[in-house]
Amino acid sequence: MRKPRFAWPLGLVAVLFLALVAAGCGGGGSSGSNNNATTTGGSAGSASGGTIRIAIGSEPPSLDPGLATDTTSAFVVLNTNVPIVYLGPAPDLKPEPALATSWDTSGKTVTLHLRKDVKWTNGDPVTSADVVYSWLRTISPQLGADYAYQFYGIQGAQEYNSCKPSAANQQCDTLKNKVGISAPDKYTVKVELTSPQPWFLQQLSHTSFIPVNKTAVDKYGAKWTEPGHIVTDGPFMLKQWKHDASLMLVKNPDYYDASSVKLQTVKLNIIPDGSTAEQAFNAGNVDVNETGWPPSDTPSIKNTPAYQQFPSLGIYYYGFNVKVITDPNQRKAMALAIDRKTIVDHITQTGQVPATNLSPAGIPGASTINSDKFLKPTADMTLAKQYMAKVSNPVKSINLIFNNAPGHKEIATAIQAQWKQLGINVTLKQMDWPQFLKFLGPPPDASVGVYRNGWIADFPDDINFLSIFQCGSGNNNTNWCNKQYDNLLKQATAEQDQQKRYDLYQQAEALLTGKNGDMPIAPIYWYTFAYQVAQNVHGWNTNPMDEIDLRTVSIG
Amino acid sequence: MLKFVVRRVLWTIPIILLVIFMTFWMMREIKGSPFRKSERAVPAAVLANLNRKFGLDKPWYVQYGKYVKDVATLDLGPSLVLRNQDVNDIVKEHFPVSAQLGGLAMLLAILVGIPIGIISALRANKLTDYIAMLFANLGFAIPSFLVATLLIYEFAAQLRWFPTNGWDTASSKVLPVIALSLGPMTYFARIVRGQMLETLQQDYVRTAKAKGLRWKRVVVVHVLRNSLIPAVTAAGPLLGFLVTGSFIIENIFAIPGIGRYYVISVSGRDYSTVMGITVLLAILVIVANMIVDILYGFLDPRTRDART
Repeated sequence: MRKPRFAWPLGLVAVLFLALVAAGCGGGGSSGSNNNATTTGGSAGSASGGTIRIAIGSEPPSLDPGLATDTTSAFVVLNTNVPIVYLGPAPDLKPEPALATSWDTSGKTVTLHLRKDVKWTNGDPVTSADVVYSWLRTISPQLGADYAYQFYGIQGAQEYNSCKPSAANQQCDTLKNKVGISAPDKYTVKVELTSPQPWFLQQLSHTSFIPVNKTAVDKYGAKWTEPGHIVTDGPFMLKQWKHDASLMLVKNPDYYDASSVKLQTVKLNIIPDGSTAEQAFNAGNVDVNETGWPPSDTPSIKNTPAYQQFPSLGIYYYGFNVKVITDPNQRKAMALAIDRKTIVDHITQTGQVPATNLSPAGIPGASTINSDKFLKPTADMTLAKQYMAKVSNPVKSINLIFNNAPGHKEIATAIQAQWKQLGINVTLKQMDWPQFLKFLGPPPDASVGVYRNGWIADFPDDINFLSIFQCGSGNNNTNWCNKQYDNLLKQATAEQDQQKRYDLYQQAEALLTGKNGDMPIAPIYWYTFAYQVAQNVHGWNTNPMDEIDLRTVSIG
Repeated sequence: MLKFVVRRVLWTIPIILLVIFMTFWMMREIKGSPFRKSERAVPAAVLANLNRKFGLDKPWYVQYGKYVKDVATLDLGPSLVLRNQDVNDIVKEHFPVSAQLGGLAMLLAILVGIPIGIISALRANKLTDYIAMLFANLGFAIPSFLVATLLIYEFAAQLRWFPTNGWDTASSKVLPVIALSLGPMTYFARIVRGQMLETLQQDYVRTAKAKGLRWKRVVVVHVLRNSLIPAVTAAGPLLGFLVTGSFIIENIFAIPGIGRYYVISVSGRDYSTVMGITVLLAILVIVANMIVDILYGFLDPRTRDART
């Protein structure tokens, strides 16, 4: 009689426990069945034998070169594949041979000569047919690739990408055949551009131009990037991918330059939280912290030998809605009143460079392009007030919009105080990303006076930055449209002579941020990339495009 | 009893349909696009291709109809953001992790929280009670992200007893389970204590004592049984909530659970993923509540009589 009355709480616990054990066992690879995956035993010491462990901030959304758009995916894609060209060292960032050993440019025609010793991990050779197939696949409207527009400089690409596939697919097929990509022989690719684009070869370093293996894509469809399915040709191969937990890359013995690759294994641990990533690094669980850390820890981390910092081709800026703040003098006053140095020294703190122009300091030709230094790293309040005094109808009450990512609010608050000195009352409006985009436009919402934005280069040529502010550009949220500016860029597109092109860029830049310019934007700072790198890691390097190339990295 | 269960199961169908509709409607109302992830504008042609590929170019009722059909056939469709994964894959791979984390946390909360509540009620207003309630109040008040960060700092980074992150070894599970269980643990302790104190004042307890029953037996049979009803009521939704993942704990400990996907997919407007996880969550909460109702029957026969 007594016992059953005692039994029920115990029974409840037992049932729960059994349910859990069952759940744990069914947890496919993710549970206790120890296959020696992520970081175990912090004190086990640093890895040796050519294994590097890197904390990355997110799951790569796609390892398909045609679909990858973010830097985490690009990191894995770049190190498991051979791009058409590599970018040489900064600041020139010249194209260097990779899959293409050499190239000829004649007007609008670019001919690429491919290496003959590059092999897919299934043993097949990588040929020009792979390149043509992959590029047409990415351009095709059916794939729905975000970066299809990277190919718009190629004849017929935009038309093909814009066609609407239907049951009777005739029109799309016709357009596909008209795209200016062809393979005259097994190792030659011929590209017809819409205009001579002097930056096209550098653009080819982008991961979206990396060929994919047709056999794997046909066989596995969207799942072709899973371990066991994926076929690549680069220095490393994908061995294991536990989604949202870790990826393991191993050296590809058949890579054409395998002897120069030093690492045997690359372990990527997905640690989204900066504080945890920092602790994981401090505990010796990872060798490189690529995720980042809480901004408040920057001053202390900067003083450690682990801190490494690299310049970036990226800008953080404020755009003015020129239909709200109509007078260029007021915009100049506001741009002059920003104390950029204080912002980078006390708010962002990871070595960002105060931006006095739109074009980043590291862009090839920067010394020419940014010669009009009207804006200063520090605030010039005297000059700002002089400009403000010239404004007949100053706008004294302005909404500043920014998205709710870390850091934006602190910067906005600082600038709010600086603009207050000009007698301008700024209301800060923080928004979540999709809502922010809705207010951003283009055209921006009429309530928006100033917005935060940024840009990281797709390829290292200033056209990539300057073309943001062309009339009708999808990234121009300022309402500013200047025909003279557009003309300068059009001339630059056709200009083969590098110095002359930089001169044209300079004139365009001056129209944006120069003394006699229109100042539709206020540059704030140029980005940097910062990491924690263990002392035994050698050759860690990030180029200004945020590309991390592991071929030269070693550990031990 | 069977009739009750069958009726409850049938009732879940319109509830699920309503959940799908509400989620669908709300996701549409908050606007935004899953295809605009960065500062870069997406050219109109590219956007049109993406909308067409994922059926977002269709009228809303067609999308809704297709979605209901997909859920009925247990095919939650492709993720709009993770371009090489289906929502089914995401749920299959990550839900068991969250379920294990939440289940273990719930178990720990019950095993520790309820005894704390019982002991402090029996020692009411004595030192033991004060200490236990100080712990309960602190544990309830301190946010889990702070607890998690402190645990990592102390036990992973400094003492190095446990890994800082991950979910693949037994030792990696210790800190996140503790961090997640602390809130519910102290919650259980507080409700059990409160209810126990009230039950101890009841006439039937006095009667039981007067009958000369051993105190231990009075507590276990009469007091405890009647004091656990509020805890069980709270446990249902709490379990549903815990096993569907805690964004904060999963994020801090880098645990590949479903909770993180849920939050990320809402902010990323990954419609199919949001919908898939919401339906799953709804089913779990409904099932958890049903289990609670059945447990009631054992704890309090009066509710059982009223139902059948």
